[in-house]
Amino acid sequence: MSQSKTVPAVEAVGVAKNFGSVTALGGVDLTIPAGTITALLGPNGAGKTTLVRIIATLTKPDRGQVRVLGIDVVQAPAQVRARVGLTGQYVGLDDALNGRDNLMLIGRLAGLDRRAAQTRAVELAELLGVADALDRAVRTYSGGMRRRLDLAASLMTRPPLLVLDEPTTGLDPASRQQLWEALAGLRADGTTMLLTTQYLEEADRFADAVHVLRHGKIIASGTAGQLKDKVADRVVQIRLGRPDDAAAAVGLLAGALSLSQSQIHVEAGSGQLTFGVGDGAGADGADTLLRAAAALRSAGVAIADLGLRQASLDEAFLALTGAQS
Amino acid sequence: MSAATAPEIAEIGSLRRTLRDSGLVAGRYLRVLWLNPGRLIYPLVQPLILLVLFISVFGNLAVRGHPEVGAYRQFLIPGIIIQNAALTAPIAGLSLLRDAGSGLADRFRSLPMSRAAVLIGRLICDAIVLAAQAALLLITSLGFGFSISSGLAGAIGIVVIAVAFGLSISVASAWLALTIHDAETAERVMYFPSIMLSFVSSAFAPVAFLAVWMQPIARVNPVTAAADLIRSLAAGGSAAGPALLLTAWVIVLVTIPGILAVRRWQRSP
Repeated sequence: MSQSKTVPAVEAVGVAKNFGSVTALGGVDLTIPAGTITALLGPNGAGKTTLVRIIATLTKPDRGQVRVLGIDVVQAPAQVRARVGLTGQYVGLDDALNGRDNLMLIGRLAGLDRRAAQTRAVELAELLGVADALDRAVRTYSGGMRRRLDLAASLMTRPPLLVLDEPTTGLDPASRQQLWEALAGLRADGTTMLLTTQYLEEADRFADAVHVLRHGKIIASGTAGQLKDKVADRVVQIRLGRPDDAAAAVGLLAGALSLSQSQIHVEAGSGQLTFGVGDGAGADGADTLLRAAAALRSAGVAIADLGLRQASLDEAFLALTGAQS
Repeated sequence: MSAATAPEIAEIGSLRRTLRDSGLVAGRYLRVLWLNPGRLIYPLVQPLILLVLFISVFGNLAVRGHPEVGAYRQFLIPGIIIQNAALTAPIAGLSLLRDAGSGLADRFRSLPMSRAAVLIGRLICDAIVLAAQAALLLITSLGFGFSISSGLAGAIGIVVIAVAFGLSISVASAWLALTIHDAETAERVMYFPSIMLSFVSSAFAPVAFLAVWMQPIARVNPVTAAADLIRSLAAGGSAAGPALLLTAWVIVLVTIPGILAVRRWQRSP
């Protein structure tokens, strides 16, 4: 245990992977300190799953080196497997069996004896709120219950590193909340966690460190707070009455909200302007909105539509790539 | 929560661990069968229907020049038993292929378990089904006048031969299915080798009666070896030749495609 505290849970250097002509990972460096929660954030195809699969020994990297708790994933995959619990993107359970049979099978294949597996299965089922369903076939479970049973299966041997690939994808908000509560409980127990997500909010809320992946590279890293400062999580969107006013409007808004003109995105021809609320304009969305409206109105620029909305992931990434270059 | 509990289980790669994990995987398949007994109806009833059909259509043909075989039925039934094993074997490959693309496969790949257990566990389950099929076919055949001169020991021997032959084809089918990779293509392709093997063999007619071009293939075909071995157990006659050929085939088919299939399985898509 003392060793796993000093050695990083994951240490990846220059990891690259191609699938045919597609570059899934183009040289990724990543260090995950033991006992922390790290999120990999990125859109579909960013390379999150490939990186996670390499760490869990399911895929071999073309180049680079990955060590899990100091053990090389290519040279000693069996030892790595004994220390990593994986909850994959697709639930790894046998639908035809009941919950208990699944946990027993997976726990015993992972190396537990029968008695230890039995005890642990009941303990985890209670922790994750599936105790009442243990003797029902998994095919009768709801999506949220499946995910939680799948998580239980990953935890049978108390792995020091838990890897979760998009654990909340496809879940309704209530199930998502339940899963997050379960993970929060594990965090309290000191389990190191690596999770992937497409949701900025999720990464911000639960991770100690967030790494943003795009096109197989990490384009931004930081604590949740640092990253949040860089990323506009809400945007103001203005449609002008006359598209020709766009240039004037950009000047007015930049002055009134102390933004640089490059931070205001102009959609050519349509008279649509967007800018992030976090981009130096103060965090109060409603205040920003009112000041923007007042600035345009006092100069006689007609506004057709004005609104505040959540930043899309793309906009957040655009903001990040901008901040990097 | 404490650190990873060090389980007192045999080391991965050791024979004990492989057997233990194979038993666990076999237990999974058998449990699924136990919970869904309907899945056993087809594999156990279909061979009996085929037996009745084959005997009713071909059973009264006389086999000229084969004085040691009194009636064609006595010749045909061992062929049907082996043909049935050949037709059951592709299920192993198709089942592994179905699993290979599922989340459960990734789960298994991520576990510190024996790599060979996925295949061996499946084979243990198939061995039980193959044995049940062969025993049912034998018992039904007795009602059609099939005789086993070597008695109960011979009957057990016949079941063992059918299982050994069936498993060796199962291993080959596992490798073939995982190599084909696409489930729909595999479903269409997998039964073809079994049908070819059955017809270009002594399953339904003595090798000397086959088309001349078939005869060299039929002579070394594992179906011929297995069917002839059963015939010699049932009606007497030399068993050494077919026994040697069948043993050679079982060893080759279990080891080479076996190792390749386990490697294919481990390599995720």
